Amino acid sequence: MFSYMRTEPPRPTNAELEILTVLWSIGPATVREVYNVVSRRRPAQYSTTLKFMQIMAEKGLVLRNEKQRAHVYEAARPREWTQRQLAGDLLERAFSGSAKALLVGALSARKATKAELAELRKLLDEYGKGEK
Amino acid sequence: MRFLQSWIATPLAQALGWTLLHSLWEGAIISALLGMALWATRSARARYASACVAMLVMLGGIGFTFVRLMPERVHGLSGVRVTAPPPWTTALDIGADGPSGSHLALLVPWLAPFWIAGVWIFALGQVGGWIWVSRLRWRGVCCAPEHWQKEIERLSAWLRVSRPVEILESCLAEVPLVVGHIRPVILMPIGLLAGLPPGQIEAILLHELAHIRRHDYLVNVLPRAAECLLFYHPAAWWISRVIRAERENCCDDVAVAASGSAREYAVALAALEQSRRPDWQAAVASTGGSLVKRIRRLLYPKGTNGVWTPLFAALIVITTAVVTFAAWPAKPPQQPPAATQRQKSRVETSSYDNWANQEVTYIITDQERAAFKKLTTDKEREKFIEQFWGRRNPKPGELVNVFKNEYYRRIAYANQHFAGNRPGWRTDRGYVYIVYGPPDQISETQYGVAPGPHVPYGIQVWSYRHVDGVGDNLSVQFMDTTGKGDYEFPLGKPGLKPVLKQTGDVGDGVSQAPDASRPRKDDERLTPRAKNRAETSPYEKWLDEEVVYIVNASEREAYQKLATDEEREMFIEQFWERRNPNPGSAENEFKEEFYRRIAYANEHWATGRPGWKSDRGHMYILFGPPDEIDAHLYGPPYPYEEWRYKHAGELGDNVILTFIDPDRDGTFRIAPGPPVLKNSMAP
Repeated sequence: MFSYMRTEPPRPTNAELEILTVLWSIGPATVREVYNVVSRRRPAQYSTTLKFMQIMAEKGLVLRNEKQRAHVYEAARPREWTQRQLAGDLLERAFSGSAKALLVGALSARKATKAELAELRKLLDEYGKGEK
Repeated sequence: MRFLQSWIATPLAQALGWTLLHSLWEGAIISALLGMALWATRSARARYASACVAMLVMLGGIGFTFVRLMPERVHGLSGVRVTAPPPWTTALDIGADGPSGSHLALLVPWLAPFWIAGVWIFALGQVGGWIWVSRLRWRGVCCAPEHWQKEIERLSAWLRVSRPVEILESCLAEVPLVVGHIRPVILMPIGLLAGLPPGQIEAILLHELAHIRRHDYLVNVLPRAAECLLFYHPAAWWISRVIRAERENCCDDVAVAASGSAREYAVALAALEQSRRPDWQAAVASTGGSLVKRIRRLLYPKGTNGVWTPLFAALIVITTAVVTFAAWPAKPPQQPPAATQRQKSRVETSSYDNWANQEVTYIITDQERAAFKKLTTDKEREKFIEQFWGRRNPKPGELVNVFKNEYYRRIAYANQHFAGNRPGWRTDRGYVYIVYGPPDQISETQYGVAPGPHVPYGIQVWSYRHVDGVGDNLSVQFMDTTGKGDYEFPLGKPGLKPVLKQTGDVGDGVSQAPDASRPRKDDERLTPRAKNRAETSPYEKWLDEEVVYIVNASEREAYQKLATDEEREMFIEQFWERRNPNPGSAENEFKEEFYRRIAYANEHWATGRPGWKSDRGHMYILFGPPDEIDAHLYGPPYPYEEWRYKHAGELGDNVILTFIDPDRDGTFRIAPGPPVLKNSMAP
């Protein structure tokens, strides 16, 4: 049943990535459940979603559990793995560095180091004591 | 490379180079001021606003500097190549024009191409990054659970965000992000919405909504563009960093005010940071821990100001001040316009020598000069100068002296346009311009290649329809022998007055020296030329190097018998006029084509010795470009070229010249034996 797992799944296309994102977000799901999420974002056909997911199962991007009557699909690889795979993209490699300056968000693109996290915890603990 | 070299000489490159240099100290001052402002203010909004203003002032200041340094549009003399250094090096008074000044002036324009290349590189990075960010909106996203969409609507209404905001889960975003301006989207990393307590998510969403309300995505263009244009400037990067940090602080303030508890918000930020996946890339060295700073600021709002900001500003001020200071002494302060020049130089030198020997040296007569020298007091001299101009006033008695004004305008023009190794007014073109005014027509021929020692890079012919007291239809020729735009009188007229030859009767060699009574004092120019002559006379070179292929035996004999340079000069003029296809006209097509061929030969066939001496150069100069060239680069048996001419002068028609390179070193020799005559050549 898992014979196709021997080779690594290919890099997902944009449409496949969208379905994978849904599966990562809501966990193992039926085609109907995935379709419900996708169709809220943009007009979609149930049959298209079904076809896509069948193809993805063949490619090894998703795993299909056929034990129940309605087949349940699950992402074959975790999000981090696929993200790493996508980071091989030329645009990503060339420009994600300079793009970080363009991002607007609550946290900087640079991750905090372990020392900084420890300092943060200390800061919050001390403040908590002071309040009490 | 040649294009770059000529571009460097344009006023644009000059102005750009100086603008970049000036931006160093401008940026230093601005960042010092910003440093003080940051020191004084605590409110994040005020700090953010002052950093944005500082950035705008810096950009505006650079634009202003550039506009100020760009010389005014040239009018009238459109044919003149403009090689104007910045105004402070073109003043009449050359006393302050030290060697370091001209050295710097030569180097500064070279900053411009490097700057342009840098801007392109940074702009490319920005555009690519922008494409990457816009892609985040569409790739690997799915809708967030419905209750979060409702929550966003509620929070937007609360913060009075006017635009509809969409919330999506993204598998590519690593942290919560805002993308887009008109239809903004909040991207949450997958799993975050389910992984953190709802209260903390709400606090983070408030932060993101604050970004949207403040139009941060759009305003972010300003520091990004500034980083692009001022990539070389540490102040720009620093201000940009201040803007970003204060932007986050502003949003933190909004989120705290909306959620009510600084501690809860701080905990949310810390939890968010902790929830980030460990980096698979090599960890970047810590550079200050911005999040720690932010949270400390939130928790202890009256905390002491960081001591580093003003220190850093002071450091920038000192370094850039040192750099600018090193550059500054080379530039004397901007001189006043030429008309007030006289007073200034007088004050400095407390002598009137400059007036007679420099300012009016071209127009003062011998008697006047002698009389002026005899004067003893400054008052007398002052009076003399007044009378000097009064005598030349076309409308005596009127206050405005048209002659004087025009005279100083010409000096200023010459300084601006003809300056090279010497100040513009001392160049040959400057001399002619000042004495005779703007010509009616300028024709210019640029060969634009590296020629031999006595082949000019370009020739300029100035034509005057009429010059008072001299005659009608006059022209004078200048040659650029250095390739730097230093047009001078053609060889062999050292120290002579410019000969305006009458175009009507050039043939008989009559040339007039206008206003022969005018003395010419500053003859420094004599010295270098005289030295050159001691080595090989330019007249010998003319015969043996320039026209060696076309001068005939009787001409050579006659020329060698000549005794004086004036006779030789006359001979050369006649020599060319005999070959002029349109005798009598100022432009001599034959001569121009001849020098073009020499230049071409030198450019293409120089191998250890000048190209005109090579066999191909010799044939090219004699017969011009062949109708057809068959190049056999690999032979066999060795490289050779066949040149086919339909008409080859004395050689006859339908001629094939063969050049061989048996040594394979590029020195093609003409094949031994007579040129092959081909009976019929394909048309």
